[in-house]
Amino acid sequence: MNTTKTAGLILGLVGFILPFFLSLPGLSYAGHIALSIFLLAAFFWMLEPIPIHGTSVLVIFLGVLLLSGQGPLYKNAQAPLTQLTSQSDGFEVPSTAVTATNQVWIRDNGSWRAADVDIQPSGNSNVIIRSTELSEGMQIASETTHRSVNYTPRRYQDYVGTLANPIIILFLGGFMLAQGAVKYSFDKNLTRYLLKPFGSRPGAILIGLMLVTAALSAFMSNTATTAMMMTVIIPIVAQMGPGDRFKTALALSIPIAANIGGIATPIGTPPNAIVIAALQKEGIMVSFTEWMALTLPLVLIILAVAWFMLIKLFPAQISAFKTGSDVTFDRSSKAVVFYAIFMTTVLLWVTESLHGISSNIVALLPVAGLALTEVLEVKDIRKLPWEVLWLVAGGLALGLYMDHTGLATYLVSTIDWASLGGFAVIAMFAAVAVLMSNFLSNTVTATLLMPLAITIGIMQGSGSMNIVELALVVGVGTSMAMALPISTPPNAIAMSTGMVKTPDMAKTGVIIGVVGITLMLAYAILYWPLLLN
Amino acid sequence: MMNTNLFIMCVEDEGEVLETVLRDLQMYEDHFRIEAAQSVDEARQVIEVLLKDGLRPALFICDHKMPGTSGVDYLVELSTSPQMSKAKRMLLTGQAGHQDTIKAVNQAGLDYYLAKPWKPGDLQDVVNNLLTEFVIHNEENLLAYMAILDGEKISDAMRNRSLSDT
Repeated sequence: MNTTKTAGLILGLVGFILPFFLSLPGLSYAGHIALSIFLLAAFFWMLEPIPIHGTSVLVIFLGVLLLSGQGPLYKNAQAPLTQLTSQSDGFEVPSTAVTATNQVWIRDNGSWRAADVDIQPSGNSNVIIRSTELSEGMQIASETTHRSVNYTPRRYQDYVGTLANPIIILFLGGFMLAQGAVKYSFDKNLTRYLLKPFGSRPGAILIGLMLVTAALSAFMSNTATTAMMMTVIIPIVAQMGPGDRFKTALALSIPIAANIGGIATPIGTPPNAIVIAALQKEGIMVSFTEWMALTLPLVLIILAVAWFMLIKLFPAQISAFKTGSDVTFDRSSKAVVFYAIFMTTVLLWVTESLHGISSNIVALLPVAGLALTEVLEVKDIRKLPWEVLWLVAGGLALGLYMDHTGLATYLVSTIDWASLGGFAVIAMFAAVAVLMSNFLSNTVTATLLMPLAITIGIMQGSGSMNIVELALVVGVGTSMAMALPISTPPNAIAMSTGMVKTPDMAKTGVIIGVVGITLMLAYAILYWPLLLN
Repeated sequence: MMNTNLFIMCVEDEGEVLETVLRDLQMYEDHFRIEAAQSVDEARQVIEVLLKDGLRPALFICDHKMPGTSGVDYLVELSTSPQMSKAKRMLLTGQAGHQDTIKAVNQAGLDYYLAKPWKPGDLQDVVNNLLTEFVIHNEENLLAYMAILDGEKISDAMRNRSLSDT
């Protein structure tokens, strides 16, 4: 175990234990537990003493154990209550019923509500409290520090249920399609077929490669798309002379296009799932079609900018490439069934707005269709990247804890966001998202920022538009981080080919990051409001 | 210099030939520890130490006619050893008879027979192929080998591994 990992392990454990010894005014006991889990997860996800999907399932486990109504902590927990009975000048209650900030917690119809009170000392350990919000017969907590005060535990099913959240099913559908595409070489053949019209000139080949990569990575994982595209570009690169800088352009074009292409559809890359699920929780449904309408123009503009940047920075010496290997699509009956299911699913997804059937439901078509026809056999299904589903589910669960316990509200209420203004907040979240995900996993970045972004969006209260914009800039922003080899797996692959030097990747990555954020913010104020209203 | 845990063992009794082989293997020394022995006995001793240090064999390049144990017999021995059998086995000889060659193919699961003398570049091509095959089937992290071995084959192997975003 190296130093980073050891540090991560220690920081995570200390972060987990610390809130149990703190008493943050205004944060419930359950909020402290959620903070413990949040700190543990944040350090573990950032420094990776254990694999990130391991942290995710740990998050689910800890939440079920420490926060759910069926876990040992809240199984039989009952907040001690006292009933208010009138005295001459107020209500006499135990002094433990009043918080340090002179509040009492009223239990009303199964939920909690705080009330500010005036207090006067009374005999023994009692106080007299007065407030217009109090009335005869009301029940208030007699001990405000009790773990059940200001918290109503959810069923554990709500937390383990994140593993079958509709967005997880959507991704499962995407994974099945991607697995089939690899198994029947549909990804490779389609790429060769689509690249044909782009001819043999370097500039045209480059834009062709970028468009095809982006299109595939919108439906497959960015990483798998990059690995596949490397098999396409290595023979092309081999035709170039040793000093030709255009090699770097080719090798960089693939991860850039794959990272950016992932933004284009809900299933393109896991951070998108975090965005959609967080919005869904607030009752805001973003259809597959709407997502594409929101993001696709942005993706195309960034790709155009990236293409221009690459041919200017790394001009080609070679004037034409030899291309055109024959494309032979697999024509076996199983492959044909796969093509049919693939096309139908994609068609139904992108036309969600027309027929109104949720893309999450459509996702069951490839899951059931490919399994029952045995187009994908058990051994193929075992190969699916299940750990990514865990990763997303753990992120969703953490969002639930922060919401249910009031931790998210507590954390964001420490800063006066209203005085900053809507745009400044959006810009700040975009910048933080890009910066963080250059060093961390994109999904982890989205997971950690999303509960805060959503809560601020709600607090600013300017309708659902603000929430959607905030969620989108965080989610999309994470996909724009590509300055370092460790920023994303596609970058790592490109780097390992030996065709790219780190300074080149850093230079292009920073340009894409800055241009990307600027364009995205322009979008957030000019284009998205048009679609969202 | 990367932290490698794979080694290539060359067994060849003629010093001149051994030097040629080692020169051809130089390009791999950042990714594989290159070891040489002039007899099977010496090879066994070296390997004992390497295994103790936690290294694993990736490729054996063996001459046939040597004092002591012959190359083919050694390759047969390697193919039955659980610690060694995953490594690729290559026979580099001009003197193996018909029977020995058959034995090498049938009993030692020979991966390649390169006849002496070989053309420049031939050995490197064969070694590149064998090492690529080896890492694809035995290594978790393929990225490290992409630039030095067959990048196209390694990319394709990664494509088949259901890679995901994180």
